[in-house]
Amino acid sequence: MTTTAIPGLRTDRAARRFDDIRELLPDVHNPTPLVRVRHVVPDAGLSLFLKLEWLNPFGSIKDRAAAAMLAGLEDRGELAGREVVEASSGNTAIALAALAALAGSRLTVTIPDGVPEEKKVLLRMLGAEVWETPDDLCPVDHPKDGAIALARSLAASAGGERFVATNQYENEDNVRAHYETTGPEIWRQTEGRVRYFLAGFGTCGTITGVGRYLKEQDSSIQIIGIEPQRGHRLPGLKSFQEAKQPTILDWDVVDEVIGVDDEAAYATTKRLFREEGLIVGPSTGAIVHAASLLGEEHSGIAVGVSPDGGNKYASYFAEILGDEGLPQI
Amino acid sequence: MTQSPPTQREITPADSLDCSGLLCPLPVYKTALALGNLQPGEVLELITTDPGALEDIPAMARQRGDTVLASEDRGSSQRFLIEKGTQT
Repeated sequence: MTTTAIPGLRTDRAARRFDDIRELLPDVHNPTPLVRVRHVVPDAGLSLFLKLEWLNPFGSIKDRAAAAMLAGLEDRGELAGREVVEASSGNTAIALAALAALAGSRLTVTIPDGVPEEKKVLLRMLGAEVWETPDDLCPVDHPKDGAIALARSLAASAGGERFVATNQYENEDNVRAHYETTGPEIWRQTEGRVRYFLAGFGTCGTITGVGRYLKEQDSSIQIIGIEPQRGHRLPGLKSFQEAKQPTILDWDVVDEVIGVDDEAAYATTKRLFREEGLIVGPSTGAIVHAASLLGEEHSGIAVGVSPDGGNKYASYFAEILGDEGLPQI
Repeated sequence: MTQSPPTQREITPADSLDCSGLLCPLPVYKTALALGNLQPGEVLELITTDPGALEDIPAMARQRGDTVLASEDRGSSQRFLIEKGTQT
């Protein structure tokens, strides 16, 4: 990255002053916070900390993967003169759109049906082209992953000169991002005392990268994957009953899978807002609900990922609330 | 192989879409968008080069309630005439 610093006002992390937004991307020296969940999962053996990934510069845990995948393309000389295409439920795309624009490129995103309007508008604000895609787009093969299939065909069509795909479901740079940043951050922030790590199944870059790093430090650390129900409404998460398993998922580092349904996930999300002051997205609710189930029988320090914040889901929450919180006359 | 139109009437497409060089499901996506711009009963002419379109396009039309009036496999390309249904 090339920036021109103002004389005397160079980047100073201690002063929280930066020449370029990309310098805010996290690493072990600039970790996202861990915050204790004290009420929704009261200490009864298990102490849960959430890693607040929505405090990343582009608003989610996907900042890490997007930065690593884009850097990989640039290092391999694959980005030059081409646009980036990715299938994303929004967060990867938001980070990629911002980073691609900063790198002089542009993003085309194929986005599954049902992603909240807020995310689609943010993407268009960032200059991305948004292709809303039904999951059952391929009527013959119907792999349930229409957005992934469409991104692949955009990259491969007409010789593939225009687009280069980051392909987060198969890109080892996605795993590497978490192996090199999220995992070491958690290990250091918990002073090596983490016993459980919880993350949702999505692209599986987080669970594979963090799981691999933590297992290398202490193979007894339990890595727990959260899987939603079929037909769920938890953007970013995947049910393997209906979606393909990403090739980057390494089952060797996963010890247990906990299923969480929408109702429990959204109920827990509401509690996190009201009892913890945590304005989180619904996938965080799913992860915390899984931790509360785990806490009934286990003890020690658990770290759960809070992938994104709640602001992007206002339209979903409005549906769930109904007339709750409005004056009843 | 050519599938003849069901009647002798002259079919004049209201619009034409060339998806040459595009791999499925991209032609399916673009065709659905193009049909969305037509009125019920109007016909879209579609050219594709991915052989998968011979299965995908009729399946998509069935799913949407449109009618494939003709499909022609020209070897290196395919041509379809699709009539927009009333439900789409």
